[in-house]
Amino acid sequence: MKVLKLIGGIIAVAAVLAVGLYIAKGPQPVIIVPAEVLTTIGFLNITNTLLTSWVVMAVIIIVAFVCTRSLKLIPGSAQNFLEGVLQFLMDQVEEIAGATNGRKFFMVVATIFLWVICNNWFGLLPFFNAIGKSEDVNHHIFEMIHEQDEEGTPFEEGESQGYWVMENSGNWTVAKPRAESGEYEIETGDTAGQATDRYIVMLAVQFTDFEAPEGTGPPSVETVEGAMAALNADPLAPKVHLVEAHAEEGEEAGHGEEAAAESEHHTIPSEALHAEVESVTFPGQTIGLVIPFFRSTFSDVNNTLAMGIIAFIFIEFWGLQALGFGYLSKFFNLKGIMSFVGILELLSEFIRVISFTFRLFGNIFAGEVLILMLTFLMPFLLPNVIYGLELFVGFIQAAVFALLTLVFATMAIEHHDEEEHHEGHHDEDAAADAHHHPGAAQAH
Amino acid sequence: MGSWVVPTASLLGAGWYFATCLILGVFVGQWVDEKTGLEPICTLIGIVVGLAVAAVGGYRMLLPFIRKVSYTDPEQG
Repeated sequence: MKVLKLIGGIIAVAAVLAVGLYIAKGPQPVIIVPAEVLTTIGFLNITNTLLTSWVVMAVIIIVAFVCTRSLKLIPGSAQNFLEGVLQFLMDQVEEIAGATNGRKFFMVVATIFLWVICNNWFGLLPFFNAIGKSEDVNHHIFEMIHEQDEEGTPFEEGESQGYWVMENSGNWTVAKPRAESGEYEIETGDTAGQATDRYIVMLAVQFTDFEAPEGTGPPSVETVEGAMAALNADPLAPKVHLVEAHAEEGEEAGHGEEAAAESEHHTIPSEALHAEVESVTFPGQTIGLVIPFFRSTFSDVNNTLAMGIIAFIFIEFWGLQALGFGYLSKFFNLKGIMSFVGILELLSEFIRVISFTFRLFGNIFAGEVLILMLTFLMPFLLPNVIYGLELFVGFIQAAVFALLTLVFATMAIEHHDEEEHHEGHHDEDAAADAHHHPGAAQAH
Repeated sequence: MGSWVVPTASLLGAGWYFATCLILGVFVGQWVDEKTGLEPICTLIGIVVGLAVAAVGGYRMLLPFIRKVSYTDPEQG
């Protein structure tokens, strides 16, 4: 009986996995590291991570407001929840930094913890990285080649542009299951004309049965002509519109106005076809990307860097506040070898910002990519396990960020306490020594 | 909790310190090489300086733990 149940269970799981793989398989993710820009207001780019952080901010403010609107001596459930969370944080902070300093650090440390954990957990909601506006990739490729053509130089670095085959462009879109994906690649040293040829071949391969010959160099004349023929034969395939490449000659002949009107409309040259490509139209499906409206805040390195700098400023501020300018003598002094040690200390202060930044960014970005990839590989069951793991990672990263800020702040003001011990309370020296931080240990 | 948080934080920082010193050394060396055209020399100097700073700084970070271990060992065993 047991064996039957086991076999039945395995078959059921396999069936669920197979159904998921067949029906709900996601499009192969196109991983874009920088946050996508949704819109621009003045000079400010509104990215999807910025929008997420605004929404999380609003949620935190509303929850805090609702829970504390009518404070009672015997708390209701909402007030009780918030008090429980804050009490837990307060206990941890006071245990590490002591009662007096703990209360001073608490506001910043608790804010960092709540902010990071809310953002991390918010980023696991199902509409993240799925619903967004669609972006026309064709336009991007066109502009990229056009700019290079204006410069008149070959591409110095290979460029690539991922895309999905989509039904429409320019509206709200959901990342559709089983969407086809591809990548348009330009290699280093390609001229604008060769890049255009590659584009034509890529379109033919993606939308028709055309098969490009293997090889790494730029496509040959026959390949490009074959690709054009394949595109023209299929009524649903994209159409590449060519114009004769004689605009410059026309200008020389004195048709200045005509040439000017023509140059306003971008064209890109094709080397193999000896013609200018005026535009590419998509009668059926187009190539585009879903730019999600929401993306986890800390999958953007700008946000983690901002948090790192804020933590750094607070730590230095508390150090200066506690020790006055004596705090700086830790970094700048002229006592022989100690001046070198001071430089090391100074370096380690700045390296903290880097470690704060990339620890959080790396963890959250990697988690996001992992979930996207697993949704593509194995849509059911397996991502759920990873979602559980990501909940844990989100909590751990928030705790690490907050605790490190707290520990570094404690270290920054600790020197002050030691000096006080040396002035009066010699009997407490031993106890203080037990909690020496590395820098202070070396200073003696 | 307080007893292990402070050492953990120091150890978490030590790895980053080591890595960043090396990377900074290499990149600064490469940058100077590009500016001066002394191709490999400054990069090599950068690596050596980065490694030295990483070693000294890392040793200083670990010193309290080394001391603690050597102090507590005879007691325990």
